[in-house]
Amino acid sequence: MPEGIFCNKKPIETEDALTALLGDTSGSQYYKEMKSLDVDSKLLWTTIQNTCKSRIRTWLEICAHCGMCADSCFLYLVNDRDPEQVPAYKIQSTLGEIIKRKGNVDNKFMHMAMETAWAKCTCCNRCGMYCPHGIDMGIMFGYLRGLLYQQGFVPWELKIGAGMHRVYRAQMDVSEEEFVETFQWMVEEYEEEYPGLAVPVDVENADIMYTVNAREVKHYPEDLAEAAILFHAAGENWTVPSRGWEQTSLAMFAGDWAACKMQVENVYAAMERLKPKRMIGTECGHAHRATVVEGPYWAGRKDGKPPAESIHYIEWLAEALREGKLKIDPEKRIKVPVTLQDSCNYVRNHGLRETGREILSYIVEPGYYREMSPNREHNYCCGGGGGFNGIGLFRPQRNKALITKRDQILATGAKLVIAPCHNCWDAIRDLEEEFEIGIKWSFLKPLVISMLEIPGHMKPEE
Amino acid sequence: MFKKILFATSATEASDHAARVAFNMAGTLKAHLNLFHVLGVPTRGFSQVVFDVKTRKEVSVDEEYISWVEDEVKSYYSNQLADAALDCSIKAAVGFPHREILRQAREIEPDLIILGGTTGSDEDSVYKYSTGSTLQRVAKAAPCPILVVNRAAASFWGGLSSIVFGTDFSKAADKAFEFTMKIATALNCELHLFHALDISSIHMGMSMSQDEIEQKIRNAYRMIRFKYVSKMKDRKNYSIDVWEGIPYVEIVKYSREKHADLIVMAHNSRKLDVDGSKIGSNMEQVIMRAGCPVISVNR
Repeated sequence: MPEGIFCNKKPIETEDALTALLGDTSGSQYYKEMKSLDVDSKLLWTTIQNTCKSRIRTWLEICAHCGMCADSCFLYLVNDRDPEQVPAYKIQSTLGEIIKRKGNVDNKFMHMAMETAWAKCTCCNRCGMYCPHGIDMGIMFGYLRGLLYQQGFVPWELKIGAGMHRVYRAQMDVSEEEFVETFQWMVEEYEEEYPGLAVPVDVENADIMYTVNAREVKHYPEDLAEAAILFHAAGENWTVPSRGWEQTSLAMFAGDWAACKMQVENVYAAMERLKPKRMIGTECGHAHRATVVEGPYWAGRKDGKPPAESIHYIEWLAEALREGKLKIDPEKRIKVPVTLQDSCNYVRNHGLRETGREILSYIVEPGYYREMSPNREHNYCCGGGGGFNGIGLFRPQRNKALITKRDQILATGAKLVIAPCHNCWDAIRDLEEEFEIGIKWSFLKPLVISMLEIPGHMKPEE
Repeated sequence: MFKKILFATSATEASDHAARVAFNMAGTLKAHLNLFHVLGVPTRGFSQVVFDVKTRKEVSVDEEYISWVEDEVKSYYSNQLADAALDCSIKAAVGFPHREILRQAREIEPDLIILGGTTGSDEDSVYKYSTGSTLQRVAKAAPCPILVVNRAAASFWGGLSSIVFGTDFSKAADKAFEFTMKIATALNCELHLFHALDISSIHMGMSMSQDEIEQKIRNAYRMIRFKYVSKMKDRKNYSIDVWEGIPYVEIVKYSREKHADLIVMAHNSRKLDVDGSKIGSNMEQVIMRAGCPVISVNR
């Protein structure tokens, strides 16, 4: 059977198709159909010829198979140094092989490639830092995912995730109206406590345009209120767009290049419409990568930058604390051993290695901060990056992958892990569920709010 | 007095005490009862997969699944629902319990929320969120009073005849008083206004002299008369008392002495407990210990 009802080469384009695919519990029929899904070798080879440019070809060619990347990969380490987990092997045996065979690969091969691309690599790009030639396997796996997606070999949840972006321009089924309504609800819930709290929607020429992760809207909207509280406390002139508010991109995890472009263009259109001085995204790693780092290239922007200056939430928070826009009550600083999870996507891959530490220097009582080892750009992935967290089929592999982070955290002796990234936050939450090591985890927003010196204009009437 | 009651239930034994009160109240007061059940919490990161808190399995939830769970809730309460006079609706949803309860409350605008117990313990890792228990989070933001029944002994709602109103003289307590008056008037019950003078936090060498305690007690009596009694018009069947001690212990003792079938208190704490434990404020302590349902009024 070439194309299945659920598992096929067609992306999800409609709400009905989404609902139908969601109805296939755990993707059981989807994966059954995948077993007999044909590989369109001609399409595969044409796509490679059109899209596999000199960088990747050179990387595949010059890899000396020296094995220096092996120890850099936490999945290699955590899987008992299995040679098949060496990054160079993983990419050569999949993408390298597809190119070598000019796309003539079969269904079984594609299954192996899918597992390798989504369960043996989180696209954390750590190996690229240790390769003497600077070969970045993470980048190549991102590319391989695109080829696999096009052929229909993509984990069920990510086919849905990419479909969500196509249908809703958000990673979850949250409409534009629901976004605004939820934000307003949250402001109502908190305005008694923080007088003057408001959510300015679609204000032109604001200093800040704020974008979020749809999961906040759907499941933990407190996060929206917290963002509003901090902007309000800092006296910022900010706004949210009613359209183009979603910063994340499961399409990127899925390798759905077309949806990546649609998604990011939606955010850029909001920037062009509202002309903010800066765009600030929520505490999310991959969202930053998708919208700020890679997005401009997907959208074909010549300068490689989004239409407005775009910074990560931690950059804004560090600035607000540094400049005294937000003031911390020293009495309320964190007084338990605490550590910081560096998100690969904006620390290793976008240079923000000191920003989080600067924030912690304001909010942690001296003597309580513990560094993970390794840290900063050398830190390991949380264990759930690149979509790994959400894929049921590869849950056992994901759970094993959490061991690295668990042991890193245990070695710090920290009782609180600050994770300013949705994926890291999830992975750390899950590792506590899985291994019960007795830690708490948090985003920065609620912590900062709990120790904020509330400015006079925001104090509730007695 | 109550037109609509939202009963957040796990549809398991954990909610049985609360269910007795909920069905009884809805029947007596001829109120609409909305049985609301949060069947599962989101899991696996960004995915649409849900952890079903009852079966403890990961499931994909669609409309069919939800209606199946709604049927299950219906059959769990089939005895109670057999009463044709009862005006009742059922809804199941997915999400973090506190948020979904608040979402439902925003939608149907109930006069009272009754909270049942959770399927697992609130400490259960599937509910782990950031800070605070479901009770704390709902109590903090609820648009209406919340009724909680913690102990089996507290679940009897056989006609309401005696209400204890515990006050700390806060602004929220004023609201709680208004609410208490409404019930007491509607159901014609005895009303007991009570303040507990907190002497629990006095440290060594700082203890209050007995004269000082008695002075404060006299002040509290004056305060009760000024703030509340003055607003009771010609009500006769009431009493006022001020006891010193650990507030929650005194309220529980006092309620026992007055054979209270309901305690009304203000929930003042805006803070969520970092440890997520239920043991925090006086209100929560009273809920844990009281021999009757406790209503928390927030605003």
